[in-house]
Amino acid sequence: MKKLILSCLCMLVFIGANPYRSFASWPIGKYRDIVIPSMFLYHQTDRFDRNGHRVKGDPGAGFTSYSANLYVGYGISRRLDLIASVPYVYTQNKFANGDKVTNQGLGDLYIGLSYNLVNFNYVRYLSVQVSGIAPLYNRNVELGLGNYGAELKLMYCGNLPKSIASKGYFNTELAYRRYFDVQGPDQLSLSGTVGYPISHHDQLSLELLFFRSFSSNKAFNPNINNARDYAFFKPSLNYGHQFTRRFSTFIGGYYTPFGKNTGVGYGGSVLAIIKI
Amino acid sequence: MRNINTYLKWTLFMLLTAIVLVAKARALCPQQKSNEGEVILDAKPANKNGLFKTGEEISYKLSVKNTYNEKQEGKFSYIITSDDGKKIFENTADFSIGAGSSKSLSVKVAPKGPGFYHINFMFNLSAYDDTVRKVFGVNPEAITSELHKPDDFDQFWQETRRQLSKVAPQYKVIFRPDLSTKYKKVYSVEMKSYENLLIRGWLVIPTDGSKFPVHYRVPGYVVELKPNMDNDDYIAFDINVRGNGNSKDVVHINTDNYSTTNIQDKDKYIYRGVYMDCLRGLDFLYSHANLGIDTSKIFVEGGSQGGALAVVTAGLDKRVKVLTMQVPLYADIRDNYSISASYKEQVVPFKMFRQYKNRHPEFSWEQFYTTFDYYDPQNFAPMVKCPVLMGIGLLDQFCPPRCSMALFNHLGSTNKEFVCVPNSTHEVDFNYFMFQNLWVREKFRIP
Repeated sequence: MKKLILSCLCMLVFIGANPYRSFASWPIGKYRDIVIPSMFLYHQTDRFDRNGHRVKGDPGAGFTSYSANLYVGYGISRRLDLIASVPYVYTQNKFANGDKVTNQGLGDLYIGLSYNLVNFNYVRYLSVQVSGIAPLYNRNVELGLGNYGAELKLMYCGNLPKSIASKGYFNTELAYRRYFDVQGPDQLSLSGTVGYPISHHDQLSLELLFFRSFSSNKAFNPNINNARDYAFFKPSLNYGHQFTRRFSTFIGGYYTPFGKNTGVGYGGSVLAIIKI
Repeated sequence: MRNINTYLKWTLFMLLTAIVLVAKARALCPQQKSNEGEVILDAKPANKNGLFKTGEEISYKLSVKNTYNEKQEGKFSYIITSDDGKKIFENTADFSIGAGSSKSLSVKVAPKGPGFYHINFMFNLSAYDDTVRKVFGVNPEAITSELHKPDDFDQFWQETRRQLSKVAPQYKVIFRPDLSTKYKKVYSVEMKSYENLLIRGWLVIPTDGSKFPVHYRVPGYVVELKPNMDNDDYIAFDINVRGNGNSKDVVHINTDNYSTTNIQDKDKYIYRGVYMDCLRGLDFLYSHANLGIDTSKIFVEGGSQGGALAVVTAGLDKRVKVLTMQVPLYADIRDNYSISASYKEQVVPFKMFRQYKNRHPEFSWEQFYTTFDYYDPQNFAPMVKCPVLMGIGLLDQFCPPRCSMALFNHLGSTNKEFVCVPNSTHEVDFNYFMFQNLWVREKFRIP
């Protein structure tokens, strides 16, 4: 489950991280490639109960994960892109009695096709993405839900009006994900990102994510990789710097101010966008 | 009490007066409005770009809105003509539309052969006459034209290039801090071109990088090009060929006479030097890689006369890696002559050519072609082997779509695309340029 969260969060950080449209929902462009290595940190000590009330974690207990993610995108045609993402995850679940459970290994492979349905004067784009999810680990290892899954995502992105920011952009995504298990889960997410240039090479982006995971398994699990029924709202703030047209780096942080049956998560990410 | 009665009477009087005035105004209104209004017409082809395949049903959807306060009655007719004015089909029917109402009409046209056709929708109604003029194309990639390439065409241009090569360029690159910005350095560039004539251009180099592809822009008809500050990802090089912009030291000719300067002599015709100016610009780019110019990624672009210059440059010089052009002037000049003969009012370029001929009755069209066949961009098209993007406007009279497509179909490149803008005259639209930007990036693999 944690892996799932990590994937989602990584994707969102990526989405908001690109000042010049090399990512997010813009078509990558025929024959163009994008490679995005990233590092991601997630930590939680406290949690939200099923009613959304914050519950203080036991002293010394907590959950931390680090992941390195490699995202690759290739423009098959002007409208069709192939995307793939593979994480390597390390998790540590500390209990109040001092016990620790650690896991590490490859997480869920995420691979899909993105198709641009409509472009609005080459300024705004409506696209759909269909993806498959495959666990790259033994089901006994808690690096994810351990199930195959599929995702359908609708994406709308574009430039902000020039009166607001000449190189600003927005990106919105509505996604439905289903894991093929009797307990699901079914997941819905809605995200919105606004990127605003603060200088010729620098930008800030703000992302807002609403995430809901539905499952018959309502149990709370401190290892969020294995949780199935929960919800959260998470804003993220990212700073991006463009070194060259082909190389940009980004750093970001986030916090979970509201949630249900999930951790009060916070963390950050560092990533690079390499355009080949 | 008495005061109250007086007040009530006064109020009643005012109310009655107001009612009478309002009633009179309402009675007058219909009479005034009956003479005000319009019939708003719109005609949209079934295929958004106005292009149809051979055998495909050609249809238009017409929307008619009557803003008059009275019914409009009369005739609706449409006429289809070839692009050189020959009537192909005509149909007339009674038409009426109620006051303040809207109507839709569907017009279906029998399939046509490859070519471009004019279709005029005419409404002759009680209080309103109007005509909506549209053009549609059928299988334009099958349009053919005859090449009138002189036997010594290649030798002529080889000799011309040889003469150019003998001219020492004497390049001068002058930094212009007054025009530069934090992110763009602007240089005025001077060089000697064909017949030792001085020409100038503008070089704009982004400060944000060390090596860039080049957007090499060639000018429209006697149009001044200025520093192109629009693009962060390219070095922009804009050349003013002789007689254009800041290259008027020697050749300084007005628009009416520019294209006919020395038209009677193919060796002295102005475009011989103009075409060489464009090649000299390439010489400049190739000899200044030290400025950050990526000589493997030069794309030449131009519109109208610039479109002609761009295709000639790419045809004569393989150092051009990508060609984009819009509404190329002079293309398929002989068919342009036939098409323009049907115009009620002459436009560029035959406006000038016909004016010249009127002033020189001894000058025959055959003599004109004896010169111009060396300069028709269409004759350079087979020599173009690089990727090409062309934009055309369906309503263009300067560069009729048939002529542009004839040139396009003669291009020697197998990697070529065109974009048709249905409601444009001698121009393309914003969308075209947005697409062109993406298209060039695709060809150069620019992120």
